[in-house]
Amino acid sequence: MSVETYLEDGELTHRAWSAALREDVLLGERCADCDHVTAAPKAACARCGSQDTAVIELQTEGTVYAETTVFVAPAAFSDAEPYGVALIDIGDARIMAHIDGDAAVGDAVAFRGTVEQDDSPAPLFGPADD
Amino acid sequence: MTRASVVGVGMTKFGTHDITLAELFAEAALPALDDAGVGRGDVDALYFGNTLGGMTENDTHLAPKVATHTGFGRIPAQRFEDACATSTNAFKHAVQAVENGIHDVVLVGGVEKCTPVTGIDTPEMTRIFVSAADRQYEQPTGITFPGVFALMTKRHMEQYGTTEEQLAEIAVKNHAHGTHNPRAHFGKDTSIEAVLDSPLVVDPFHLMDCCPFSDGGSAAVVVSDEYADSFDAPVDVTGLGHGTDLVPVSDKADPLATQAARDAAERAYDQAGITAGEVDFCEVHDCFTGAEVLATEALGFVEDGEGGPAAAAGRTALGGDIPVNPSGGLKAKGHPIGATGTAQIVELTEQLRDEAGDRQVESPSVGLAHNLGGDTGSAFVTTMEERA
Ligand SMILES: [Zn+2]
Repeated sequence: MSVETYLEDGELTHRAWSAALREDVLLGERCADCDHVTAAPKAACARCGSQDTAVIELQTEGTVYAETTVFVAPAAFSDAEPYGVALIDIGDARIMAHIDGDAAVGDAVAFRGTVEQDDSPAPLFGPADD
Repeated sequence: MTRASVVGVGMTKFGTHDITLAELFAEAALPALDDAGVGRGDVDALYFGNTLGGMTENDTHLAPKVATHTGFGRIPAQRFEDACATSTNAFKHAVQAVENGIHDVVLVGGVEKCTPVTGIDTPEMTRIFVSAADRQYEQPTGITFPGVFALMTKRHMEQYGTTEEQLAEIAVKNHAHGTHNPRAHFGKDTSIEAVLDSPLVVDPFHLMDCCPFSDGGSAAVVVSDEYADSFDAPVDVTGLGHGTDLVPVSDKADPLATQAARDAAERAYDQAGITAGEVDFCEVHDCFTGAEVLATEALGFVEDGEGGPAAAAGRTALGGDIPVNPSGGLKAKGHPIGATGTAQIVELTEQLRDEAGDRQVESPSVGLAHNLGGDTGSAFVTTMEERA
């Protein structure tokens, strides 16, 4: 499917981003003016304010920029065993994701699907070599 | 240059307070008025901060409520919310109001209840605290509020070699400072071993790397430069910078820079006409030990990457080159979110008046406060000086 099929009136709303994510398609936006790529779509480029942004499909493999293991969790996750959350560099974008397995700074990781909290999906990544 | 002056301060002990938000605020606000020697009729406006009341106690529209409770029912009263930087934003607006002649005397302050007196358990309060993170692109990952700072700190450890022991040194130092502060939530010393042996909250932070859930209130009376001369012990606000950075963290150009704090510091130093080297002591936003490392670097007290080693060497302790958090900081004094910003102003005022007792910095001329909101998306840096 093309990226356009997920958009709402041509816009990458959060609902559209979520629908794509649930079908294992990671969408983001690239700014035509400053080249900033975001994994969290907005009405304008967060770095330069340009409204000339294009919806793109993001890379599904990347490198861990930072990671942590959560032991004291918010209510919706508090039944889970300690789990990982990471900031991951995927090409020119950075994304926050739930982690399946172990991942340290600099490790190669790959997109694995989603976790859901209160009907909102989040990307799930895990070690790339699994 | 003097932008405004603080002529009276008050704060409650930080800890557990099973009373209403308005009652708790009054315990800070009324002493602040007494300290300034101003009466009800002298105060032109109330600038008030509270962050969680709507979520924790179904209590909003708090400015007129606390104004009424403290006897100011008819003055203009407004409420601010910027996560942990809430009451410094109220303070900023108070400074601007007196600086621009809109008001002569403004009462500014904040109040918060975060402990189990709210009837809220840790998982639910953890959910409420993470409301400051991006709702759509961060919260669903399971990140927590300490988790955001844990990510930055883990990266700092990887990039610069900061160690868990250095982080623990910061907790030990702030607890030691807190033993001299009768209003501190934790008035007890701790040790590196006790910090490292405490349970992990979110790697690399152990329980003792984290500030507590606290209840408390704080307040200050802010007046114009001209009006300040008629008070006994005015302390001048010479700079107050406000910076904002992108949310979520993934869009920030360099999360370790805490760029909003750097921008706020540059603005404050510029207004005050000083450099970092001229600051005699500071209160920084050490919600977690790693946050104090990032703060000392962003403020220019140490080079990037040196925040951990500087703390371990004692440079940031009372008696060191730049005492950081003589009050005990958020770590030991406590962190009732909406009261934290003006509590930093209380500490600066008392230190610059030489009224800080056993935690007194030696004859300080310039103090600085650094207050962060959320994932460092908001930052305020205030410089204060004794009046010449
Ligand atoms: Zn741009």
